[in-house]
Amino acid sequence: MPAPLLTTPSLSLSEVVREMLARHPDALTVSTCGFTSRELFNAADRPENFYLVGSMGMSAPVALGLALARPDRTVIALDGDGSLLMNLSVLPLVAASGTKLLHVVVDNGMHESTGGQATVQRSDFVALALAAGYRSAVRVETSAELSAADLTAAPALLHAITGPRADGPGRRVTHTPQEIVARVRAAANRPTL
Amino acid sequence: MHTTTAGSTTARDLLHSLVDHGYTLATGVPCSLLTGAFRLLEEPGDDARLAGLRYVPAPREDSAIGIASGAVVAGERAVVLMQNSGLGYSLNVITSLNLIYDVPVLLIVSWRGHDGNDAVEHDVIGAELLNLLDLFRLPHTVLDPTDPAGSVSTAIDQMDKEQRCSVLIVREGI
Repeated sequence: MPAPLLTTPSLSLSEVVREMLARHPDALTVSTCGFTSRELFNAADRPENFYLVGSMGMSAPVALGLALARPDRTVIALDGDGSLLMNLSVLPLVAASGTKLLHVVVDNGMHESTGGQATVQRSDFVALALAAGYRSAVRVETSAELSAADLTAAPALLHAITGPRADGPGRRVTHTPQEIVARVRAAANRPTL
Repeated sequence: MHTTTAGSTTARDLLHSLVDHGYTLATGVPCSLLTGAFRLLEEPGDDARLAGLRYVPAPREDSAIGIASGAVVAGERAVVLMQNSGLGYSLNVITSLNLIYDVPVLLIVSWRGHDGNDAVEHDVIGAELLNLLDLFRLPHTVLDPTDPAGSVSTAIDQMDKEQRCSVLIVREGI
């Protein structure tokens, strides 16, 4: 079990998302339910974003389905510590798939959407991912570490330690579920640059 | 070398029919009633028609539906094979993803416990399978072993018409 954090983490989910999109501007991104989808929507609303509103634990399997269907595209699963812990068996599933999935785990140590209850424990997702067969996995706590993270060997996992939201989760996703699917389908089938 | 049985012929016809309907991805969790189908998915051999149907083993049935849903959102056709016990795990993803976003996925579900004379762990879900599907208005068809292609077509037609997950129920082993 990893050592407890000594300081309040400085990274935010928005900062992690911005870094990933700077690296992969056309990435199809599947975000887990609750504040994660809301914060992705407010940080960068794009047709490539598949905002899950329910089905906790399903962001990685859904992202994997997209990656299997569109192997030429970068696909990001934007997961949380609670949702990954709910469905930890996605790790060997993704590792065995042969896809280049980028699995981003934003870890604030809590179920923030439901009131900040603690998740099971601070878990070492890097060790778990590597044991499952991911080709790279990196833990980051600061902006400098985030910028330097080498995730080129995929499937890859980024374990980002984040702090609680300073300004709340922002607006709810305004697109209907059907609109979200239509946008993602069009984005997934757009010719790549 | 595998001995050809009536069951495996049904399984092969069923999978061929899926390929003919444009299915490119199969995932799921095995059941003994679906042994022949899973064997063909794992080892298609020199069956060129099955070569286009990729198989991804899943650790749990809801994750299998998640994978298939992602592929369907991208515009592919994907099928999930499972035992009826797996519907319990799957209810969350079906009700909060597939039925909310109108992302229909074809489910091939074995029916353990359909006659009340199976292993005890299948009694409860086996007795209520059709009620469970009706409760969530999931269209369902029982596989006719003498006409797998017809049963597959019926299940897909129901799915396309209602835009809800459609269930092809397998009562006898294939």
